[in-house]
Amino acid sequence: MRKGQILSLVGIGVVAGGIATAVAVVPTWLPTRASVEAGRIDDVIWMTIIISIVIFSVVGGVIVYEVIRFRARPGDDSDGPPVHGHTGLEITWTLIPLGIVTAIAIFSAIVLSRNGNAGVDPLRVDVIAQQYSWTFAYPDAHGLTSSVLRLPKGRSVVLTITSKDVIHSFWVPNFGQKQDAVPGLHPTLHITPDRLGTFPVVCVELCGLGHALMRSEAIVMTPTAFDKWLKSQQTAVTSPSASVSGAAVFKNNGCGACHTLTAAATTGKIGPDLDKLPQWAAQAKQPLESFVKTSIVDPNAYVQPGFPKNVMPGTFASLPPQQLDALVQYLISSSKKG
Amino acid sequence: MTAATLHDAHPPAPAHHGTARRLLLGPGWIRAAWMFCLFSAIGFGLVVGLRAAAGWHPILDTQIITLVSLLVCGPIGFLAGIGCFDYWVYYALGFPTRPEDHSGHGARSWKDYFRVNTDHKVIGVQYLVTTMVFFIIGGMLAMLVRAELARPGIQFFDPQTFNGLFSVHASLMIFLFIIPAFAGLANFVVPLMLGAADMAFPRLNALSFWLLPIAGVMMVASFLVPGGAFACGWTGYVPLCSTHQPLGAVFFNQAVQWAGASSIMTALNFLVTIITMRAPGMTFWRLPLLVWANFTTSLLVVIATPFIAGSQFFSMFDHVMHTAFFETAKGGYPLGYQHIFWFYSHPAVYIMMLPGFGIMSEVISVFSRKPIFGYRLMALSLMAIVVLGFSVWAHHMFVSGMASWLRVPMMITTLLIAVPTGIKIFSWLATMWDGKLHFNTPMLFALGFLSMFVIGGLSGVMLGAVPVDIHMNQTYFVVAHIHYVLFGGSVFTIFAGIYYWFPKMTGRMYDERLGKLHFWLTFVGFNLTFFPMHILGTEGMPRRVVDYAPKFADLNMFISLASFALGASTIVFLYNAITSWRSGEKAPSNPWHAMTLEWQVSSPPPVFNFDEIPQVVGSPYGYGIPGAQHAILAPSHVPEEAAVT
Repeated sequence: MRKGQILSLVGIGVVAGGIATAVAVVPTWLPTRASVEAGRIDDVIWMTIIISIVIFSVVGGVIVYEVIRFRARPGDDSDGPPVHGHTGLEITWTLIPLGIVTAIAIFSAIVLSRNGNAGVDPLRVDVIAQQYSWTFAYPDAHGLTSSVLRLPKGRSVVLTITSKDVIHSFWVPNFGQKQDAVPGLHPTLHITPDRLGTFPVVCVELCGLGHALMRSEAIVMTPTAFDKWLKSQQTAVTSPSASVSGAAVFKNNGCGACHTLTAAATTGKIGPDLDKLPQWAAQAKQPLESFVKTSIVDPNAYVQPGFPKNVMPGTFASLPPQQLDALVQYLISSSKKG
Repeated sequence: MTAATLHDAHPPAPAHHGTARRLLLGPGWIRAAWMFCLFSAIGFGLVVGLRAAAGWHPILDTQIITLVSLLVCGPIGFLAGIGCFDYWVYYALGFPTRPEDHSGHGARSWKDYFRVNTDHKVIGVQYLVTTMVFFIIGGMLAMLVRAELARPGIQFFDPQTFNGLFSVHASLMIFLFIIPAFAGLANFVVPLMLGAADMAFPRLNALSFWLLPIAGVMMVASFLVPGGAFACGWTGYVPLCSTHQPLGAVFFNQAVQWAGASSIMTALNFLVTIITMRAPGMTFWRLPLLVWANFTTSLLVVIATPFIAGSQFFSMFDHVMHTAFFETAKGGYPLGYQHIFWFYSHPAVYIMMLPGFGIMSEVISVFSRKPIFGYRLMALSLMAIVVLGFSVWAHHMFVSGMASWLRVPMMITTLLIAVPTGIKIFSWLATMWDGKLHFNTPMLFALGFLSMFVIGGLSGVMLGAVPVDIHMNQTYFVVAHIHYVLFGGSVFTIFAGIYYWFPKMTGRMYDERLGKLHFWLTFVGFNLTFFPMHILGTEGMPRRVVDYAPKFADLNMFISLASFALGASTIVFLYNAITSWRSGEKAPSNPWHAMTLEWQVSSPPPVFNFDEIPQVVGSPYGYGIPGAQHAILAPSHVPEEAAVT
């Protein structure tokens, strides 16, 4: 190879690398990071992106160079030189990628192991997924549950994740960490939030018709605000006279992902419109209250014409009686208004 | 005996058979129609009779009846009616059979493509046309998906239909397009490249093809079933797909069985053909790399495909027979499904890549006018991919909740696969180095493949690193990755192969200008459609959602518009293929000046390929060596004395 050839080859490679780097740097790729673990994940992402840019520039640069330099002139029907191989080159391009992937594997294994460490005195949270809602329980706070994940900043958290029906997957893009929720399994996930704010919780494993709407929020609070919230909620749970709000039960169980209910400002269209419950009950020739209750605990007993069977989850049969009654009363009063 | 005389050896039609009787009872579409109905009725009777006898209620169980009658018995009736089993049934019943009966061999008119044919070249074309039909259907489903996703919120489809659209799209593209399109190309080319007259088992070959339309029709027909198409993604994860889905899920389970059976039979056929039917002198180290690629692919298929069959049977049993293979509440294990499923479906990624690698080696060598660089290492890296390919399945399950110690070993094997893949890419680059590059359409698609597959491979290495995968898993980044691998990889190589062998298959040249236009539209449309998906995914948009957060709206609109342009590019291809096939310029026997055997016979080749079995004397890639020969054809024409001296 002559010096001029090497120069133009390197030049094309640099241009290709520049374009690839611009693509990597100019758009915002990653969401704002809000956990220590996400920071470590980002390190691996950037490491692999840099390696990718280098390899892409080499391959892309060589292709462009070859296309320009070695194109057959019109009418040239001759063959190229009969080169069959070069052992040294072949060993080189076996060993260099081997070294690169070994480096990626070692770095990844270290990050994986560090992200799997919960640290001292972690906060324990149980994440329970069901079609199509999230429930977050705080076992150290006397069974306090919430439909929104609230976490204190700076304290390591161990999430124990499971599902009541099908496979879901818990992900907060800003936290980086992700874990499938599998019925019967209780895998854990470690997160140490390091940024205050409200972040989306999404289900990322197809779990049925309401999958796209199975969303919630993760709110990272200052430790004092978190303790205050915990106390206020505990009083509510432990006080015997606490009235259960039907609206809260409706929201916590994700009913709105499938059903329209004006009072709760939901517009789901997978299941029947709950604003018209009195009408549906009349059609089914059942008294309104027992119709609503049966439809929640045993959805296949009567299926609204025009809707398929087996779509409404059967998991609501396990709602505590107090919550169930509150929900039924809430639906009846809301639908009569609507 | 020459091809021409064999060709004319029709069995004389028995005189006492009237035309009407032959139409009704002879193999063909009419018999297929009534036998389909007859066998469906038998299946119906079987279920109802058994249920009535056992006193199981309801006696008319729609699920079981549909499964046994329409999805199992009916298709068997169709196959028997169209004529797939005639020879074997005659043989089994003791009727006289003629092993040398070539009446079902070769095509003399277009009608011969619509019946059971034992000629590997006809079967190859049957495969390719059928898979193109499903490619178009699958592509239209993708357009509908993109139409819905153009804006946030729910516009055109309810979630059941939407989930059905992307599930059927993926299943058609994988099981009815990419895998069988490669099988079709190889069916046409491999026996020719080996110097063989046909595949080892021509009747089995015909049967493998006819299983395919059954699988395809079943997948598309699931849209017509009450409750809608199967809507749990092509991965069919349980328990969603086993116990929470309407009847459509069973259509998926069963269609996969038909397509899988077709795959296994073809792979066995390739293995036996490649091992036993090589022309004299065709040692393994003289095989064209396309043959190596199909040899290794077939190994993957025969070993891995039974696993997806198992996973779909168990899932279906949970659905219709209330077993509990994957039902936690009854002692089943949901992750068991994923392990069995991915034990096939990861090797399946290589089943969808290796034949393309083979096509690339042929095209790049011929259009660079140079021997393949590092031939033996190219063949060995295919074998390395086969072996490693079986040890990486759980990298699809890094966040599934499986034993967490399994993640690091699976990450190491996954990253290691990049090494043999890298060897192939660098060797192709070295093959082009210092060559005389001709940019015909096949070569353009080959270069498109090289550059796009590098991107897909690199995002694959990223996903192979566990921490990156934990963030990216189940997002649009993965959607971008698989499309860079399966579209930028497999589909580009399929198009390269179709353009490359189009003159051989049809006897006519395609329109080069339209071919180049098709390439550029596809290449640009492809990148505009799929590259932005990387960004969506890292930002946090999950895959398989009918609705998404408003902040992703602009990029999704852009992707949808680009995807319509990409879809439209196929029209150029179809127009080119159809008009060139009908009235293109007549093709010479070797328009690309290639050395492999298929180019040494006429275009299209004679019915039995070679008048005399060729004698292979050297490498298939001896470009640039004066006087180099891959094979000597018709050695009988060489004077005796010349052979001695």
